[in-house]
Amino acid sequence: MKRIYVIEDLCNGCRLCQTFCSSLKQGVFSEQARIWILKPPGEERDIPILDCIGACIRPIAEDGTPTCVSVCPTGALYYAEAQQAVELRLTWETARQLQPLFKVIAPWKWPFPWHTSEPAPEMESPTR
Amino acid sequence: MNARQNQIQTLLRVDLSSGKTRLETLPTSWTAKYIGARGINARLLFDEVNAGTDALGPDNVLYFGTGPMDGLPIGNGRMSVACKSPRGTIAEGSFGGFFGPELRRAGVDYLAISGQAEQPVYLYIHDGRVEIRDASHLWGLTTDKTDAALRREFRDPDVQLRYIGPAAENGVHSSVIMGNLNNSGGRAGCGEVMGNKKLKALAVRGRQGIQVADYDAFIDAYHLYRQRLDLATSRDPWTPVWSTYGAPALVRLFAGMGNLMTRNAQEMGWEAEKAQRIGAEIYLEKYVAKAKACFNCPWPACQKIHVIPQGEYQGFRGGNYWAGQPVVFGSLIDNDDLDLTLILSGLCNRYGLDIFHVGFTLAWAMECFERGLLTLSDTDGLELRFGCKDHAGLIDLVRKIAYREGFGELLALGCEQAARLVGGGAEKYCLSVKGQEIEAIAERNMYMVALGVAVSEVGPDHTRWYPPYPCNPDLISRDELLTLGVDLDLRKAFQGRNPEEKGKLLRWFSISRAVVESLPGCVFLVRDTLGLDMRPWQQLFQAATGVQIDYEEFLRAGERVLNLERAFNVREGYRRVDDRLPYRMSHEAVPHFNFPPVTQAVLDGMLDEYYTANGWDLATSIPKEQKLIELGLEDVAFALRGSTEEAKQ
Repeated sequence: MKRIYVIEDLCNGCRLCQTFCSSLKQGVFSEQARIWILKPPGEERDIPILDCIGACIRPIAEDGTPTCVSVCPTGALYYAEAQQAVELRLTWETARQLQPLFKVIAPWKWPFPWHTSEPAPEMESPTR
Repeated sequence: MNARQNQIQTLLRVDLSSGKTRLETLPTSWTAKYIGARGINARLLFDEVNAGTDALGPDNVLYFGTGPMDGLPIGNGRMSVACKSPRGTIAEGSFGGFFGPELRRAGVDYLAISGQAEQPVYLYIHDGRVEIRDASHLWGLTTDKTDAALRREFRDPDVQLRYIGPAAENGVHSSVIMGNLNNSGGRAGCGEVMGNKKLKALAVRGRQGIQVADYDAFIDAYHLYRQRLDLATSRDPWTPVWSTYGAPALVRLFAGMGNLMTRNAQEMGWEAEKAQRIGAEIYLEKYVAKAKACFNCPWPACQKIHVIPQGEYQGFRGGNYWAGQPVVFGSLIDNDDLDLTLILSGLCNRYGLDIFHVGFTLAWAMECFERGLLTLSDTDGLELRFGCKDHAGLIDLVRKIAYREGFGELLALGCEQAARLVGGGAEKYCLSVKGQEIEAIAERNMYMVALGVAVSEVGPDHTRWYPPYPCNPDLISRDELLTLGVDLDLRKAFQGRNPEEKGKLLRWFSISRAVVESLPGCVFLVRDTLGLDMRPWQQLFQAATGVQIDYEEFLRAGERVLNLERAFNVREGYRRVDDRLPYRMSHEAVPHFNFPPVTQAVLDGMLDEYYTANGWDLATSIPKEQKLIELGLEDVAFALRGSTEEAKQ
């Protein structure tokens, strides 16, 4: 079953997910949502905390992706089956070691080819 | 759920002298007429702060304005802060972060703060209630310590704060209001005025929701908005770079194009290796800890948090390395050490100083020192030359500016006043307009920038006519332009050193950005179609407020705002002669690149075109009565009659 997964380090704290989620039921934008972005003092962490399995009551994206995931600009939230989730996570973990750009955005959110001076190491997904 | 209807805008008045507060409702017709934020602030300021008011007295009013988009996913947390500047003009600035939406959720859209407190105070606004609290324990603290102290007091990580640092408390020129540690706003004098009122901070927490008029239409318009701003679908080729690497990506590019101010803009190019050392790539690789964003921004990483990884200043933390810092604390003072750039800009944030004030005044002082106008006895023994390697000395100098100590006392006045005191031609090296330091954008290679810097009502501020470097004009067809009411030759308008069409282009940018800042929204997010097509914003505005106005009328709101701001300055005595350029830009050519200066004759041609397009008088720059009446600003026309007649005599 598909679920929403979180990459904490990629969350930039914009709260688009929280604001949109809050509005889905009554059309009122507030902070009361099934996802909360915790911001401990110091501006250094943004931590998505979910109270949701991904059964979005109103996906605004045409493909049915839960609204919070579809509006996330960095890829900190993604919606996947368990095995695919591990693979995507590994894709990001590998990419960020090779290219600093992926400190701030998930590779699947970057619309262009990217390269690195070093060849990518061969890796196997732990779930295979 | 407790939800606010989006058509009604409220104003909370706080008089710090008497301690009285009052919540009012603004006329509903203002939403169509001035939209909100910058627009309504301009209206309030024109009505309530009379000509000749002492900016540093109890009668000056400091306005914080949100707008109908704040708290919605497109407001980006922007809000406008305005007052009369201690330099005499209107002072208006915008900041991002999370404060604006929180203020609206607390039931307040506008704050008007008048009077002066006897002892330092801060305001706490929560769910429609307001308390004036003692701030003597916060007075004197740097902004990071103020943030931490207030957060300890509230024990709620979602209380939103705006505060000033020691610079504003000490009345340092151009000091800013800070929030979320690294977001600043109001460099035209709002921090100084806040400090003068002995108002150390604002704290706000609210839990109401905001209801849009037509939810389905809002979601449809949001899809269109996102399509224009998403990395994969935006037609603006800069979007992906801009929203991840950020503006420092321009440094290396500009160093070779004659666009990078070097050694106080005596030159406009820099060695490529130096530019690379303070550029975006190395910053992202070695310094960035994580991405940050303002409220509901659709871009992944316009802001970042950074940590200095090694060396003497290892562990120094900061954020928001944008276009200004690598120039003012890089090429402008000929420093290619990124550690120093980040420390100087980080300290500006902590003291609540404006980076452009500090950077341009420092560069001016370096040039004066090299030319013998300042000596070691003036600079407290600091060898103040370009490329100065005395990093500890420079770091201490920034502290001295904030506390007005020793040589810092002179620099704290800003370069225009300081140059007057130094004399001996020092004015020629000061890069300022209307008493305020310019920004790091190349006037002599991009004439729209020259014109924009000269005419801006608040002093140099590129966000009022963003983008300064329009890109490929072929992204939008002539026919499409005409349907948008933009009648100009885009090819000519986008040619850098061609004065033609600049007035008309600048007028278009100025009024459409006034609309964006009144919604409010972020001017950086006016990407795609070169910021020329405002229809998505009109759709969002209509869906959010239920106010049905056509496209032409929507833009006319921006024109009203611009005219109100100009009228405020006119009433204070500002005229065409004040719309000028710094001496260097109008008299000195750019070496190596052979760009001529933007002479007064060239500027005059562009000014004529700009004033004509705006319906302003050519000799004085005063908005014509007929124009003001056409905009429905009859009262403004009446108020300006005295100025117009005086100008005729």
